[in-house]
Parts: sequence; C-alpha cells; structure tokens
Amino acid sequence: MGKALLKMEAISKGFPGVQALSDVNFELQAGEVHSLLGENGAGKSTLMKILTGIYQKDDGEITYLGEKVDITDTKMAQDLGISMIHQELNLMPDLTVAQNIFIGREPRSKLKFLLNENELNKRTQKLFNQLNLNLDPKALIGDLTVAKQQMVEIAKALSFNAKILIMDEPTAALTDSEIDTLFEIIERLRSKGVGIVYISHRMEELKRITDRITIMRDGSYIDTVITKHISIDKIIQMMVGRAIYDNSKPMIETGTDKVILEVKNLNNRVLKNINFELKKGEILGFAGLMGAGRTEVARAIFGADPITSGEILINRKEVQIKAPNDAVRNGIGYISEDRKRFGLMVDMDVKTNIAIASIKDFLNPIGWANDSKIAKVSKEMVQKLGVKTPSINQQLKFLSGGNQQKVVIAKWLTRDCDILIFDEPTRGIDVGAKGEIYKLLNELAEQGKAIIMISSELPEVLRMSHRVMVMCEGRITGELSSENASQESIMNFATQRVSIS
Amino acid sequence: MKKLLTIMVLVSLMFMALTACGSSEEGAGTSQGDVEVGEGELFIPIISKGFQHQFWQAVRKGAEKAGEEYGAVITFEGPESESNVDRQIDMLRSALDNKPDGIGFAALDSQASIPLLQQAQNNNIPIVAFDSGVESDIPISTAATDNKAASALAADKMAEFIDEEGKIALIVHDQTSITGVHRRDGFVEQIKAKYPNIEIVDIQYGGGDHLQSTDLAKAILLAYPDLKGLYGANEGSAIGVVNAVKELNKDGEVVVIGFDSGALQIEAIKSGVMAGAITQNPIGIGYETVKAAVKAAKGEPVEESIDTGFFWYDQNNIDDEEIQAVLYE
Amino acid sequence: MNTITTEIMKNNKLPFKSGALQQLLAFASLILLIIFFSIASPNFLQFSNIVGILLSTAVIGILALGATFVITTGGIDLSVGTVMTLSSVMTALFVTTLGGPTILGVLVGILTGAFCGLLCGLAIAKMKIPPFIATLAMMMIAKGMALVISGASPIYFTNTPGFSNIALGTIIPGIPNGVIIFFGAAIIGALILSKTIVGRYTFALGSNEEATRLSGVNVDSWKIKIYTIAGVFTGLAGVIMASRLNSAQPALGMGYELEAIAAVVIGGTSLSGGKGTIIGTVIGALIMSVLTNGLRILSVPQEWQTVVVGFVIILAVYADNLRRKKA
Repeated sequence: MGKALLKMEAISKGFPGVQALSDVNFELQAGEVHSLLGENGAGKSTLMKILTGIYQKDDGEITYLGEKVDITDTKMAQDLGISMIHQELNLMPDLTVAQNIFIGREPRSKLKFLLNENELNKRTQKLFNQLNLNLDPKALIGDLTVAKQQMVEIAKALSFNAKILIMDEPTAALTDSEIDTLFEIIERLRSKGVGIVYISHRMEELKRITDRITIMRDGSYIDTVITKHISIDKIIQMMVGRAIYDNSKPMIETGTDKVILEVKNLNNRVLKNINFELKKGEILGFAGLMGAGRTEVARAIFGADPITSGEILINRKEVQIKAPNDAVRNGIGYISEDRKRFGLMVDMDVKTNIAIASIKDFLNPIGWANDSKIAKVSKEMVQKLGVKTPSINQQLKFLSGGNQQKVVIAKWLTRDCDILIFDEPTRGIDVGAKGEIYKLLNELAEQGKAIIMISSELPEVLRMSHRVMVMCEGRITGELSSENASQESIMNFATQRVSIS
Repeated sequence: MKKLLTIMVLVSLMFMALTACGSSEEGAGTSQGDVEVGEGELFIPIISKGFQHQFWQAVRKGAEKAGEEYGAVITFEGPESESNVDRQIDMLRSALDNKPDGIGFAALDSQASIPLLQQAQNNNIPIVAFDSGVESDIPISTAATDNKAASALAADKMAEFIDEEGKIALIVHDQTSITGVHRRDGFVEQIKAKYPNIEIVDIQYGGGDHLQSTDLAKAILLAYPDLKGLYGANEGSAIGVVNAVKELNKDGEVVVIGFDSGALQIEAIKSGVMAGAITQNPIGIGYETVKAAVKAAKGEPVEESIDTGFFWYDQNNIDDEEIQAVLYE
Repeated sequence: MNTITTEIMKNNKLPFKSGALQQLLAFASLILLIIFFSIASPNFLQFSNIVGILLSTAVIGILALGATFVITTGGIDLSVGTVMTLSSVMTALFVTTLGGPTILGVLVGILTGAFCGLLCGLAIAKMKIPPFIATLAMMMIAKGMALVISGASPIYFTNTPGFSNIALGTIIPGIPNGVIIFFGAAIIGALILSKTIVGRYTFALGSNEEATRLSGVNVDSWKIKIYTIAGVFTGLAGVIMASRLNSAQPALGMGYELEAIAAVVIGGTSLSGGKGTIIGTVIGALIMSVLTNGLRILSVPQEWQTVVVGFVIILAVYADNLRRKKA
C-alpha cells in the first residue's frame, strides 16, 4: 500500500456541555478504503467535519501530503482535494442537477460574468457518463427522490478530483444494483490512488469494500484493524464495548387475529389498487425497490398525500383521512424516513419534541402547558428508549441520528397511537442502536400496537416482520408469511413489473 | 386547473359586485360611485390632498351638495397620506383620462403637478384649485382659506388668553406643504410683530398624526414645565396636544388652541381642555370649488380667488347656527 | 435502472411545465383584468391612460426588481421605499444645490441606493442581523437622513429644466422615457438573475443557504453583492421618482416597500426563497397598477379600491400555491 495521504493525530474538540472528541487518531493512505466505525455519538461525524473545515479542532495536528495543514473553511478543504458526501443531503432543491454539482465553480462564457449553461450541462453529462449514472443534468433536484439526490451528491463530490473522499452512509438509500455501481466507482477511484473514508453501519459492506477499519467509541479512539483479519463479531464488540443482540434470535409471535387497519382499493397519483390488512400486535413489513411506492402508501394512509379513491377502515369502521391530523386523531403515528425534514424540530429541545404531538394532554384547564408533567413524561420516555442526551432540555440538533430517531418514536408513543408506521426506522443508525430499535419494535408489538415497517434492508425485513408485503411500481405484487419469506422470494416480487416501458 | 379557473371567476365576480356596490352607494347619495353621466350633466372629479380625515370628508360633503344643486356628477379622491405626492399625480392623470368637464384639485406639490395641469389646459379642461391651492397660473380659480390670516387670529387669541407674556410652543402637521408653512408663519409672525413678551420655545412637526403629535406635545410639556400655551395647527396636531395635556394632567394650566374641527376637538372645547379653535369652512370650500368648476365648464366667468373664510369658535359660540354650519364631526 | 430512467424522464418535464404555467397564469390574469376594464369603461383602453399606467408602474416596478433579488435569497428588504427617497434627495442636492451635471446626478442617486444596499448586506452577512431587522433599521436611517439632508423640505429642479426629461421626456414618440427605463431595467435584471453568477447564487442562497456554504461558496460576500445590486435598482427608482415629480420629496417613500413586495409576490416569487422571476415581478407590478387605475377609472370608491387590492394579493399567492402543489 502507498504512503500516508493523511494523518490526524490527537484531535480534540469540545462543544458546550459535551466533549465530542478527545485525542483521536486517524490515518489514511492513498488507494485505501478506510472505514470509520462507531456508534451514534462516537464522534465520527465531528472528526470528518474537522477534516472538511466545517468545525475547527481545539487541539491536535493534521498532516496532509506530508505537510502540516490548518483547515479553516470548507473552501480550503475543497481546494486541498478533500470532499465529503454528507449523510444529511446538502443540495439546493430549486436548482438543477448540473447547477448543484458545479455550484461555486460554474463555467463562464467569454464575458466573465455570464454563465455558460450549455457547457455546464455538457460537463455534467460527461461526469455522469464516466460514473455510469443515468441522470438528467437539467432535472430539478427538488423533483428527485432521496436516492437520486444522493447519487447527485456522490457525483458532485467526485467532480472535485478529490484526493480524499469521505462518504457518510452512502448506501443508506441505494438499491442493490445502485450499490454495485457505487462500489465499482469506488474500486476505480482506489486504483487511481484516491483515499476513501467510508462510514457505514452495514457490516457486510465493510467486509466487502474496506481495507482497514478505525473504531471509535464515545469520542475516543479505540483501535485500527485490518479488515481481512478480523470478524464482524469482534468489530462490533470493540465498537459497543459489550455484546449485542443475537442475530438468529427467533421472532416473537405477538400477532393476533384482530384486524385493526384495513386498506381497500387505495389509488392515487402513484398507487394502484392497494389492498391489505394490519392486525393488532403484528409487524407488517413493506419491501420493495426504491420508488416502488412504499413511502407513498404510508403517506396516503397518514393523510399527507391525497388519495383519488379507496377506503381506509380502522377497527372495521370507515374513516375519512384528509390530513395528518385526521390520522393522528384516529391513532396513527408516522415516523418519517427523512427525520430532519418531516419528523423533528431540530432547534427545539427534547422534551418539546416529545410532547408536541400530544400537547393537549399536557394543558391544564387554563390552557397553560404543564411543564412539570411534560418533563416527567419526557424523562420516562428518554429512559425507556435509552435516548443518549445530557438532559431533556438539550436541543435536538446536538443529538446523533439514532437518538433523534428515538425521540421521534417517543413522540408517537406519548401520543399513544395504536398504529405506528415506521419508514426506514434504522436508516443511518449504527448497529448498537439498531438492536435497541428492533427490541423496541418487538416490545411495542407485544403491547398490542400494530406496526407497519417500511425497510430497504432485506435482512431487517426478514428478521422483524410477521408478514411481508412486496411492492413494485405502485402495486402490491406479493404477500409473504414469515416462513415463506426469503431474500430471493422478496426480490422476485419486487421486480415483477407490468411492462418495461 | 379547475381550482385556478374557479379563482379567476371569483375575482371577476368580485369586481362586478364591487362596481355594483359602488353604484348602489351612489344611488343612496352618500358617496360617489360608478359614473353614469347623463345627457347635459357635467362630470367633475375632485382630487383632494387627503381622504380619511374628517376635514376632507366635509369638503366632499360640500362638493356633493354643489354637485346636486348644479347638476354635476362628482367623484372624490385623495392619497392616504399627505406625503404621497406621486399617488396624487396618478389620480390626477386618471381623472384627466376619464374626460372630465372640469377638475377640482388641491395640490400636495404644485411643481410636480404642473405637466399634467398643462395637459388639462391644452385640452380645455378648467382646473379649480382648492384648499392650499396650486402655485401656477393655470387654475382659473382658487377656493381657499387665507391660512396666514387665520393663524394670525389664533395667535391673537393665544396672546389674549395668556395675558401677552410667557412661553408657548407649536405642533404643526408638516413643514413642506403650503398650509403647514402658512399656518406656522402666520402665527409666528403675528406673535413676533405684536407680542414681544411671548417667547416661542419650540415648533415640532407631527405629520398630522394624532399619536405622533401627542408624543411631541408631551415631550415639549415635560421639557418646559412653565409652558403657558400650545397651538395645534391642524386637526391631528390639535388633538395630539389635547391628548398630551390630558395625559399629563395639565388641563387648565396650559392654554390649548386648535385648528379645524372634528368630534374630538369639539368635545375638547366643550369640556374646557381646549380654549378654542379656528375653523375653516370645509363645506364651503367643497361647495365653492364645484360651483366655480361648473361655471367655468359652462363658459361663465369666475373669480380668480374665492375666500371661503374662517371663524374663531369657543365654548361661547360653538352652538351658534353660523358656526355649527361649518363644523364637522 | 429502468424504473429510475422512466421516473427521471417524468420528473424532467415537470419544472418546465410548472414554470411556463406560472407565467401564463399571471399573464392571463393581467389580460383578463385589462379586458374587464376595457369593457367596463371606454376611457380605460386609450393610449394616454395606458401610458399613464405604465408610467405609474415604473417606480414601484423598479423597486420590485431589486426586491425580487433579495426575496429570492429568502431575505426581505423593508428599506427600499425610504432609500429610494434618500437617493432622490441626494440627486437633487447634487444637481441643484451643488450645481453638478445631470448625468452625474443620476449616478449619485444610483450610488446612494447601492451604498445603502451595501450597508444592509454588511449588517446581514457580517453582523448576522436578520434581514427584516437590518432593513427595518435602514428604512428609518434613510428616512431620517433624507429629511436631514433636504432640510425637511422638497428640493425642486426648477433651474435644471432638463431633469424631468429623464422620466417624462420622449425618445420614442409618445412613450415617456421612464417607461423605457423601467423595461430596460427589467431586461437587465432578468439577464442578471438568469444568466449570471450572481443570479445563480441568488437562487442557491434562497434554496439552501447551508448547502451553498458547504459547497465552498463565500455566502457572505455574495449576499452583500446581492443587496448592493438591489440597492442599485432602488437608487434608479429614486432618480425616476425625482424626475417624475420634478422635485425630491423627503417625506415620501414609507409604505412603498410593501407595494414592491406585493408586486414581487403576485409575480410568483416565493417569500421563503429559491423561486422567482423578473418577468413575473413585472407582471405583478402591472397587475397592481392596472387594478388601481382601472378601479379609479370606474370611480369605485377609494375605500373599496384598497379592499380589492388586498384580496387580489391573497388570491394571487393562493393560486400560486395551488400550482406548486400540482407540480
């Protein structure tokens, strides 16, 4: 392997109320894929934000290409050849794909102040051709799905001719074939001598693509290991510092025969004739490829998107759901796949976020919010779900992704919903927290809640669901019991297209 | 798309309703409305300096009265604020485009309106200036109060009440309009010329706004505890002074003299907070303006300057028939 | 990959359709209004009245051009009304009191506007004062300064008879220069917004400021530039205003910012930023003045004119929301 491209030594960084990093080391060589691994809040993101100039380190040294550097802002990091694909997408929805990719370095025409839109689109197309991406440079970002937006982010980062490329959960929203494409690209970059920092919680991927793994825990450096020489179990142990859930644990049978939710012939812009039943105490998995319409089913039931025809029955009675508040009144809670945009108020504190959906229960007769009651319930929830936060008064933006997810769940649990829809519940969440979320889902089912779980991770669907609905192109193409469900059978239904147009 | 169409239809319906609404009001005779100028009837738009103030509404009343008597259709418009010079120009322009037989016009800024007045003259549309008038020889007649003389009378009354000595101050509506300048100068010059023992300690401008004038008057009262008198040079200024005196519990200690009328001022005079006020004859102004315009449109001769007069009124004469006729609520 | 391709192709058509629809809708409303008023009054559709409408649109319209930039960044500029006044006072001071040449006077006015915009931009970008507050402060500063500099009385261009020709003269027979300047400024504004780097960052900032910053764009410096450009338009409006009135009126200007904002919003620019067009703003400004003028020609009582304009703003923005939802 080549010589060290980057050395970060004894990096420390503190925020008000929390020491995010203390004495962390990290080394990256040219042509290496190096994974940075740790639970939520372990400090991976902070470390990478220091490397890309978003945060300034308090202490420590960065050596890049043999020279000491002080990375003061994002522009400098880019100029040095350090690019990052953020987990939370950072795109401008009102601009086109090409405009997003070349923001800050737009090609100009002969008159310096005029933009050359043709050249811009041409360059973008060329970039896409190189990367084997099938995207239209002129499409508006806001009209693309999250997965496609992520691909734009990747293309954008690669367009900088980066020497170091940091990928934070790049595969979280990608389908298998898209992941294959991504890995091909990574291989190509590796052969060109690019150093890649790969942050992911999917162990199989780490095994498949990375050379070395650096493990962090609670803001500290634990160890750097060579991927080939270590087992997944060992990695997880180092990461969590304790043994984790048993992957082969049999499913608890909590399902009953009592049908709580019934959807009949639901149609809208995307969906075609959706029919299914959800029983009390059941976890119903929704599987399918990106864009199959799973999220759209959830949004239609929740009243977030209008339906053109169809019936929704709760406890055998037909209900009219025209807006999310109708759904909430009928005991449906929706935990969105895009927490930042739809699930949370990140500038507000933990307790407010937990109480907001059920604020009426916290009002005293005059109409004041009863703060002590809110605090009490929030504390219980934080404890019950194991939310890692210094206090219930902490602003949500300072919490890691997994802990934010737990707060969303706490919000709907406080509302006491009977039907909970989880859209990608473990997206961007580390392995330790994943186990806790699984445990939580099982507990909820045991308590008699009916759960719809939409997930793109087949092992997750297989492990958790009592029944699996498979979707393709807005239709339900198959229903599988947990005994019959396998990766192959699901994929079979998921690709059952009516016609290839 | 269906919803969008609905909206368009709604908007159109709203216009119809509104124009209809305008006409019905016209029918009731309380307001100008959609103009249905009959054969032989004259159309005379009035462009005033303001709209919301009671004073202008009284002018409007006089104009409408003359309109009925002389068989002319009147419209009455004015900008929201007396600083909106360009709005008034737009109104004048639209009025000209409506092919009127004559126009009554009170200029906020004479200079700015001259090109349009020129156009009116070229089209043989007679202009009658009113209130502060227009600084130009284009208007064939001007119906206005002699503000300087009126303010000088206010100064005499002030001197009388404070025994010709002591400190006094003025709240004026603005320093840019002719009325503002004339009412200020008329008062100040009279005091300087005739009453050497009276000292004018401050002159402030409140834009004719009640609240702003109140604040200004309060500040003056606090700055000069020995102040003997305050003069408010128009309705808003005068009411501001009254408010300030009341709020600081100085009624009886400070002599308040106002200008124009309006319910609040009349009440202040009746209750004794205000010693008295000068009133113009706004109804007369409106009436004379329309009368002159009608005459001019018919080709009859008109006087170049019509003095519409002013009156002093206080507790003693407020109920006189002559005064009641020119006061407005 | 097949599904993805087809979906992209589907998506691809939407932005084009919605953009065209928006402009079509605004334009259709304008035409509808004109048709309505033409039928309702024979005096509406005559050349002099149309010219009058265009001339009275010029000032608010030019102000709205600048405001379009600011609002597209997701900001707001409350200072345009009084900064316009300050610019006209500065021009008048230079041309009359100091006896400078008219052409330089125009430049002084424009520079005054640009300078005020620069100050707003600095306060917003460097001192991190929210645009609403920073420009509110500038509104007051400019209002006060206009009164101070002018000695609180109008300054007349009596000795420079050529000055009123800037807005009222006619290079093209029958059409006042003010109208031509308005359309010229609109074309330049449209070019800047759609074809230049400044325009691109105007959209980027309004769309996602943080993402723009993370892309290595110097957000602060561009913000300052954008507010300065808006200031240039404001200054130009000041010059036109002074020329139209043949005087600088120091007490004028309060409230004009709201009309400019209304025109921008009617034109389909989103107050939350990221979306906006100059042609939309021009149509928005025209809708406002056609409406006022038409109602005036119909002699609708003044009280009701204001009510109607209020309703139209609500309906225009609601229609735009409906369109967005559809897209």
